[in-house]
Amino acid sequence: MSYEYVVLKEISKKFAGGVKALDKVTIEIRTGEVLALLGENGAGKSTLVKILYGVYSADEGTIYINEKRVDISSPAEAIRHGIVMVSQHPQLIDTLSVAENLALGLKAFNAFTSIKKVSKFISEKSGKFGVKIDPWEKVWRLTYTQKQLVEMIRAMLLNARVVLLDEALTYLPLEEKRKFYKFIKEFTAKGGSAVIITHKIPEALEAADRIAILRRGRLVGIIEGGSARIDDVRKMMFGESAAEITYGKLQASQPGEEAVIETQDLWITGDFGENAVRGVSLRVREGEVVGIAGIVGNGQRELTQALAGLRKVSRGRILIGGRDVTNRGVRVVREMGVGYIPDSPLAFGISIDNSMTENIAALYQRKSMLVNWSEVREVASSLIEAYKIMIPDAGSLIKVLSGGNIMKVIVSKEINYCRRALIAHNPTRALDEVSAIMVRKSIKERAISDGVAVLLVSEDLDEIYQVSDSIYVMNSGKLYGPFPPDEAERSNVEHLMVI
Amino acid sequence: MGLEQYAVNTLVELAPVFATFYLVALGHSLFEKAGLLDLAIDGVFFMGSSIAVRAAVASGSPVVGTVVTAIAVMFLGIALAFLMTSLPISHGAIGLSMMFLGYGIGIIVGYPARLEVGSIAMYAYSEGESMAIMAISIAIGVAVHIILKYTKLGASIRACGENPHAAASLGVNVLLTRLIAGAAGFAIMGAGSSFFTLAWQKFWDPKSYTLGYGWLAFTVALTSGRHPMILVPISLIFGGLTFYRVKIGVMYGVEKDVANLVPFIAALIAMLVCYATKLKNILAPPTSLGKVYYREERTV
Ligand SMILES: Nc1ncnc2c1ncn2[C@@H]1O[C@H](COP(=O)(O)OP(=O)(O)O)[C@@H](O)[C@H]1O
Ligand SMILES: [Mg+2]
Repeated sequence: MSYEYVVLKEISKKFAGGVKALDKVTIEIRTGEVLALLGENGAGKSTLVKILYGVYSADEGTIYINEKRVDISSPAEAIRHGIVMVSQHPQLIDTLSVAENLALGLKAFNAFTSIKKVSKFISEKSGKFGVKIDPWEKVWRLTYTQKQLVEMIRAMLLNARVVLLDEALTYLPLEEKRKFYKFIKEFTAKGGSAVIITHKIPEALEAADRIAILRRGRLVGIIEGGSARIDDVRKMMFGESAAEITYGKLQASQPGEEAVIETQDLWITGDFGENAVRGVSLRVREGEVVGIAGIVGNGQRELTQALAGLRKVSRGRILIGGRDVTNRGVRVVREMGVGYIPDSPLAFGISIDNSMTENIAALYQRKSMLVNWSEVREVASSLIEAYKIMIPDAGSLIKVLSGGNIMKVIVSKEINYCRRALIAHNPTRALDEVSAIMVRKSIKERAISDGVAVLLVSEDLDEIYQVSDSIYVMNSGKLYGPFPPDEAERSNVEHLMVI
Repeated sequence: MGLEQYAVNTLVELAPVFATFYLVALGHSLFEKAGLLDLAIDGVFFMGSSIAVRAAVASGSPVVGTVVTAIAVMFLGIALAFLMTSLPISHGAIGLSMMFLGYGIGIIVGYPARLEVGSIAMYAYSEGESMAIMAISIAIGVAVHIILKYTKLGASIRACGENPHAAASLGVNVLLTRLIAGAAGFAIMGAGSSFFTLAWQKFWDPKSYTLGYGWLAFTVALTSGRHPMILVPISLIFGGLTFYRVKIGVMYGVEKDVANLVPFIAALIAMLVCYATKLKNILAPPTSLGKVYYREERTV
């Protein structure tokens, strides 16, 4: 029978800077259930699961496990109680091998156990879960999906009874996501519990037995998965703003004649020496939004990095505003007024150890030796207001923001910065629905009223259809298209993505 | 004198120099592998070499001198590891303060011993023990290497150096791991510094802290990428340069003060070579070396 394995009682948490992240939240986790935790960016979802995993400690409130009051002051302790967290950014040590990473938490091995022994254990066990991982492989050589897989295996090896998935599936390609959901179902069927945090409400409705909704640090309600209606969930999550959510096509632009972004027979080498981009030719005209659909890992990342000047092109040309910028480097491209929202936002989009103003200054104030701080502060506060960024003030360090709010800072500063062109790779990933729609609208707005040429690369077909004036599909380094969105059938596009 | 004999003599002569540089650099490397920046090294080096003299004179045995130094310095390592891990303050600031503290303690501890006995030669290791000192030093190095590379404890130490937040999230007790690395690393440094006075110089001078040999050991560790085995040849080279610099000076007819610079110039060249070439990827420092680790900070 299912019973309440974990009870979080009246949990409150306030951060330095006065942010009340959680306010008397009471919630239980039952055995054998999938519990979805929903809420807008900054609602307190991550804070809640981190308290349960011992990363943060609560100011007030108690945690019960199997009806016993426990004190979880570190992840090691949480693991002892069978609680394991997997987050959006893999928490693995890159320079260590898979086995070394997994060994760190395994209590079955003592300090002087050889890694060889651990490797053997991992090989045997992971075989049982039906996955193949090489325990000797260094983590930095793994793809994102493989890393998340290692994290899941880790939870299983630790004999987890509760897995906390904090947007752990957000960045996975669709196909992989389905496999992970299947894995989770099997896990809960055997009596385990899963808490999943996601911004995709339909996904949550499909997978979850119960749905808990947080809003500004408070628990708004818990509803049974079967009876939940998407509109009700949205209302609970966003209140009034839920009305802004729409997936209808945004107003079309009237593109000019001139190509602003143009590539001619572009060939780019990937990280492992393969031809990641093969002969791509595309044109984005003034004021036009061109969408590139495709499953992750088909050359999109290499293409956008090359356009931004971050990656060498082995053959072909890139023209921006008619000027040849092939292999001229990122500075030249940026100074021509090109905004860039990268695929790995934390690696290329922002410095989290600096403040919002410092990040803006680094991008905007390149002309003179001295930074005009009052101008920078003005830009910052206008962005904070326009994008409803939850930040104590513009001088706060980026790393204290919630994941979605970090993304908002990156996206808003680029949309605001671009004068001529914007290269946007998954610009709304990790954003809640209301914020995502707002971002799409402002991208479109810049295209229509300022003639900015936008190249939007996204795994999210809804997004591609909502904003694009013209659609390409990228598969195995090749580009198919352009197709006008009204004529391009979704099923055809999906087919092109997977053939 | 045959070539063989010459080589043996050279090695015996160099053994204490090697052991000093090797162990100090090794202990320092172990400490830094855990992500703890060690700017205290030169102060610790001088302090250790003074404690060694005092303990050897008091007990009449150089071995006691070495053991007492290792233990005393170990406590300093534990204190440093604790402060650097549990407080949100700069590793650099704590390290440099400890360096000056080390100079001060070194003088206070060493001076009475010097007043008591004119020469410490009779409390020092004998020439015949040099090779054993060298062998033991290398054995310690091999042990550190095996632990770092092949055991769970080693993986934990490296994890704390690369990304302590992720390490904690993976189930590592970051504080405990760093206390272990701090204790073991500084104990080894302590032992190394005792060989400076008790086996190499056989002489204690209050001004020897101006020599900067602690910083040379720092460079040895840096050049070797903090790798216990690469440290062996590099310590030998730097030890040799330091020891024979006067001879080298005479050979090429340069001034004594300039000759004194030889090891430092070599250090500079070594660092340039390291950082200008692909070697820098192989010998890269731990990613989180010297970064403040404060648990409430968002990273996960
Ligand atoms: N370490 C921290 N320091 C300061 N503020 C924080 C920290 N972690 C989270 N916050 C704040 O707490 C609030 C909730 O954040 P979080 O739980 O990450 O939201 P989300 O629901 O998007 O996961 C946000 O306003 C965020 O800025
Ligand atoms: Mg979050």
